[in-house]
Amino acid sequence: MTLFWLSVGFGFVTASVLAIAAVGLSLQFGITNYINFAYGDFMALGAYFTYVFNAEFFHWNVWIATVCGSLLMGVLAVIINHLLFSRFARRFSKTFYVMIVTFGLSLIILNVVYSIWGPDVRAYAMPIERVVRIGPFLLTRDQLLVMAISVVVMVGVAVMLKTTRLGKSMRAMSDNTTLAMTSGIDTRRITTITWFLSGTLSGLAGAVLGISEGNITPAAGELFLFVIFAAVIVGGVGSIYGAMAGAVIIGMATEISAAFIDPAYKLDVAFVILILTLLFRPNGLFSRPKG
Amino acid sequence: MSAFWYYVFTLVFFLFDYFILAMGLNIQYGETGILNFAYIAFVAIGAYVTGAASLPNAAGTGQQYIMGWGLPFPFNLLLGGLVASAVAVLVAFIVLRRLRTDYLAMVLVSLSLVLYDVINNYVPLFNGADGLYNVPQPMAGIFHLTTNSFIPFFAVVTGLIALLMWFFMSRIMKSPLGRTFRAIRDDDGVAGALGKNPFGYKLTSMIIGAFYAGVGGGLIIQFGGSFNPTAWLPGETFVVFAVIIVGGVGNNVGMLVGALVVETLLIHLPAFLPEIPGHPGLIEYIDTMVVGALLMVMLWFRPQGVVPERVRKSAGMLADRARGRGRELTTATEGQGKSGE
Repeated sequence: MTLFWLSVGFGFVTASVLAIAAVGLSLQFGITNYINFAYGDFMALGAYFTYVFNAEFFHWNVWIATVCGSLLMGVLAVIINHLLFSRFARRFSKTFYVMIVTFGLSLIILNVVYSIWGPDVRAYAMPIERVVRIGPFLLTRDQLLVMAISVVVMVGVAVMLKTTRLGKSMRAMSDNTTLAMTSGIDTRRITTITWFLSGTLSGLAGAVLGISEGNITPAAGELFLFVIFAAVIVGGVGSIYGAMAGAVIIGMATEISAAFIDPAYKLDVAFVILILTLLFRPNGLFSRPKG
Repeated sequence: MSAFWYYVFTLVFFLFDYFILAMGLNIQYGETGILNFAYIAFVAIGAYVTGAASLPNAAGTGQQYIMGWGLPFPFNLLLGGLVASAVAVLVAFIVLRRLRTDYLAMVLVSLSLVLYDVINNYVPLFNGADGLYNVPQPMAGIFHLTTNSFIPFFAVVTGLIALLMWFFMSRIMKSPLGRTFRAIRDDDGVAGALGKNPFGYKLTSMIIGAFYAGVGGGLIIQFGGSFNPTAWLPGETFVVFAVIIVGGVGNNVGMLVGALVVETLLIHLPAFLPEIPGHPGLIEYIDTMVVGALLMVMLWFRPQGVVPERVRKSAGMLADRARGRGRELTTATEGQGKSGE
């Protein structure tokens, strides 16, 4: 039984990281309507930016480095969108072209990361933590902090979408871009802000994944991308709350299953849930009608 | 023969092999419009099945795999292609019936990764992360080939197989079946309204394409004698997409050009360049970046590829044109220049 509760604890941590990543991907997909296959590599870049601030050059505290690394990734995402994605999206009406461009960018970023930092496993410079016992769970202070950050991000995104003018514009755009434009919403500005948010969240997710796993590798983001896809599809593509719920379901399911089956097959559990969702509720658990 | 010629024949082999792979993806994406982002998984299935079928019984080889029937050459290759097709049927029934483009892309990428994960971890299937090795060289016994003379021999065999498959593919593309595929690609609603069942045709297209993928994969394991998971990371699908986009979607000659530019010149030729001292693997990394960049540049400046799809005209259209009532003819990439807002 101890093992079970331990994996529930890890499930919360994985779900927290996954929720940050899934919300970032979902925000961008809702606004621009194409999947960013480079998202996993955005995560890797965010993790390595954090590594630069934390261990390689500046030796800042890992959490300050995480904030800086994420914001840097956000700025980079805006630049990439401006120079690359938005141009292809305006020129070609089929989303296939932009998807292939994001796929190509993923290849480029991955190999840039390999060229600069090499294929070795790296770790952040952070003090070794004592394990804290809370009820039946055993977690480090860093893992608790990861969960806290995730909760803050989720509440923040929800409040922003519900109450602020920006959030309302974003929801309007994700429902119907043309209608939003004719209602006087500056869609380009909203798209830019969305890319900044999506990039920042991807960087944050990458760094936090590195912190909770204890290591960073160039390909970690790409492997994680599939788990994000599973969470987003299970929750319903384009729905932010669906992404949050999907992240919890997939995160908990993969970690808890590891207590019963060989942990090497963790990913496959996520895939089985994904296929079951597609067979019985193909638009996801929390989908809404899309006009 | 000097070492130089062995290099050349290795490049020739990969040229023909990727020609076959590109034709398979072209019928799925270029002709029918299915975004098969799991294509490399079908290549891998073909490779593993071809290898495992031709290997002797697993006991005593130090490897673990299923089958092990010692099947002779063309039959194991056929089996590889057929098993890939069978898997395509399964995949098509799960994902092709109701998913939209972006869902389909995400699910297929996920499928490719999960299949990778399972084969990598589950050793009894195809020897796990080590992959299959010591696969017997086909026909080496009959023609008394050595390890060296096998390379040019098999490059020629692959060329003949590619020629045969090209012949069949161009027959399919010219047939009513090919026309229906293109109708579904351009608008599956219209094709459905004309009484064609889009799912049935997409399924057919998946089966044919997967067979080509399987045969292409089978040839890879027969040529090199080994195959392991590092050869088919999900990103490899992108390389095949690069081949068909650079060459020109919807055109078989374009596939050959694409295979020459992307696979032979960009992927395999730089492998013979000397390493940059102190930076192991750097050439390979830069190489992959160039492939990604080339694809973006191609999409931007010449989305129809080096050899564009021919505009196909029916007798009726030609008659209309003669009477001065020419209808607008479009191909997959023409008419994409307009804004989609």
